[in-house]
Amino acid sequence: MLTTFLTHQWKSFWRSRNRGGSIAAQVVLGFFMLYFMLIAIAIGLFMPQFIGKLFPGQDVFVVFTGLLLYNFVLDFAARLQLQDLPTLSIVPYLHLNIRKQQIVNFLNLRALFTVFNLYPFLLFGPFTLYRISQAYGTTAGVMMFVAVISLSLFNNYLVLYVKRKSIGNAFIAILVVAVLAVFGLLEYLHIISILGFSSAIFMPVMKQPLLALIFPVMALIVFLINSAYLRANLYTEELSTREEKKASTDYAFLNRFGRVGELAALELKLILRHKRSKNSLTMGALFLFYGFLFYKQEHLAKDSFGMMLFAAVFMTGISIITYGQFMYAWQSAHFDGLLANKVDFKNFIRAKFLLFTIASTLVTLLSSFYGFLSWKLLLLHLAAYLYNVGFGTVIVLYFANFNFKRLDLSKGASFNWQGVGATQWILGLPFLLLPLVIYIPFGLADKPYIGLIALGLFGLITWLMRPFWINMLTKKFEKQRYKLAEGFRE
Amino acid sequence: MIEIKDLKKIYGNRTVVDIPALEIRAGETVGLVGNNGAGKTTFFRMLLDLIRPTSGAVFSKGEDVSKNSAWKDYTASYLDEGFLIDYLTPEEYFTFIGSLHGLSVAHVADYLRQYEEFFNGEILNRGKYIRDFSKGNQNKVGIAAALMQKPEILVLDEPFANLDPTTQIRLKNLLRDLSVKQNLTTFISSHDLNHVTDICNRIVLVEKGQVIKDIQTDENTLAELETYFSG
Repeated sequence: MLTTFLTHQWKSFWRSRNRGGSIAAQVVLGFFMLYFMLIAIAIGLFMPQFIGKLFPGQDVFVVFTGLLLYNFVLDFAARLQLQDLPTLSIVPYLHLNIRKQQIVNFLNLRALFTVFNLYPFLLFGPFTLYRISQAYGTTAGVMMFVAVISLSLFNNYLVLYVKRKSIGNAFIAILVVAVLAVFGLLEYLHIISILGFSSAIFMPVMKQPLLALIFPVMALIVFLINSAYLRANLYTEELSTREEKKASTDYAFLNRFGRVGELAALELKLILRHKRSKNSLTMGALFLFYGFLFYKQEHLAKDSFGMMLFAAVFMTGISIITYGQFMYAWQSAHFDGLLANKVDFKNFIRAKFLLFTIASTLVTLLSSFYGFLSWKLLLLHLAAYLYNVGFGTVIVLYFANFNFKRLDLSKGASFNWQGVGATQWILGLPFLLLPLVIYIPFGLADKPYIGLIALGLFGLITWLMRPFWINMLTKKFEKQRYKLAEGFRE
Repeated sequence: MIEIKDLKKIYGNRTVVDIPALEIRAGETVGLVGNNGAGKTTFFRMLLDLIRPTSGAVFSKGEDVSKNSAWKDYTASYLDEGFLIDYLTPEEYFTFIGSLHGLSVAHVADYLRQYEEFFNGEILNRGKYIRDFSKGNQNKVGIAAALMQKPEILVLDEPFANLDPTTQIRLKNLLRDLSVKQNLTTFISSHDLNHVTDICNRIVLVEKGQVIKDIQTDENTLAELETYFSG
């Protein structure tokens, strides 16, 4: 029976209509996976060197065991946010002559197939089985391995249980990370030591390998609790998260824009009421910290804005890129309705410009905290912002006319390749390269500030040309709408 | 009111719709019947300019619907859930559709009061998004939103499907009423021969994209259609 279930799952994966669509997307995803796996293995293999670098002069094994607790709390938070409940897949089986226990077993087994259960093998496998075995004996190594994997399984089923009881939500995950950050800071300031606490838990296992058996037992207990809960509540209605009462809302600040504002409000509701768009929003917020990777003191001192331009354009334009890349497809489910109703296409395009402008302005204001690093960054952001609002929006909306893939909004956005096609890949090139092309001649001529002014001016002029773009995009849209509607109906 | 000239839609080498000529006069209630795959929905989509015809055109009040969108001022339609903005509450959706026709929030609320009976207390103030309603209730939202636009032409694709018996009867009365009082031109498709012969004064029977019969309804029509479909 279980194997039948699994073959059905396998088929549903390979035969699903939305399976990433194009082969190109699959290949790229494959490369990403391979890349991350290689990184995990590399870190796993060279763990002693890494620890030696980060914590010079300390015992590698003490540090390793000290970090384990941090890792698993972080793991828990990440799972809470990203791991999906395998619930819907059982609906077609519930009314058949299949024992409940079998369905529960299937759900439990199905839950194991996630990246979160793969990476501990890669990351901790080499270190525990090889290094610890060498230092403390094979039994200790194997038992540490068992302990680490068991903890991973413990998290796996605990998250499912928490999610099923709908205790957990995005807020909890953020809270966990915040608490962790506070502890990390306290650790750094030598006020308390979670590292020490964690070592105190795991170091004895090295010396007394049998102690490690406590972890599989813990995992087993959570597993059994989860199974019992599933058995008792095997109704899809109760297994998925609970519904709350929905209210009608009105965005007063958009009313001043008339018809255009109404359409923008409609889209704002779309963003806030779907999982995928909400996820994109949180991811966009995380990208606000992207600058810390690029804004180096040496670049700032030498005014080499070319090195930092990419990050600036990306950050101030993140809302335009993440939302714009799937443009029109967000509305694929009711696209026919929009066309058949008395919606003026010009207003339709204007609403998108309005939304982009508001979002981009907000993000740019938020990102102004980089001004504390250097006032130069504010200039850089201003130029990037003008480019994004002026011309980035046009690029995105132009490419939207060639995106015929229906978008499923009910799934999360991370690692979701449904609705991704060639457009998303091509779109990024002109969007991110053009500002560099404008800036680089000035950069090479050692006139960095003139370069920024040129970029800003370009943005400003294209912004002022907006009525022209709106006309052009409306004409294009009128031509493409049949094709778009046909694609979205799939 | 509506005039169809040489309308053709071909997918690959399959002709889905092929109507050389068809004219609908103002105030007519026309029922489109035919088995699955007869091309009813494709025809409606071309009528509403959602699909580009391979050749020919649809003229509404003498104007080609694909060239000019003036027809949207007096045409309301509901084909399927793809017409609903399903992440809105019904109230928000009605307000939005109303605003497209210049109706204020108060107007919309006022208008909806007439349809309390039709909604049967299941639509308004339920604290749910449209996507969380049953298919039948989604249908009701779509039909009510279409009627709210005070159209001269109404296009409905299988409006009786998924509706409960009470609502089916109420919808029939409503359509009959509008046709008499407001001289509404209605174009509906249905698989329910009883309903269409009941309310339509003209039946167009299509098969494989072609008009097979175009008859004025009388007491023999139902029997005639039943004979055709059982054959």
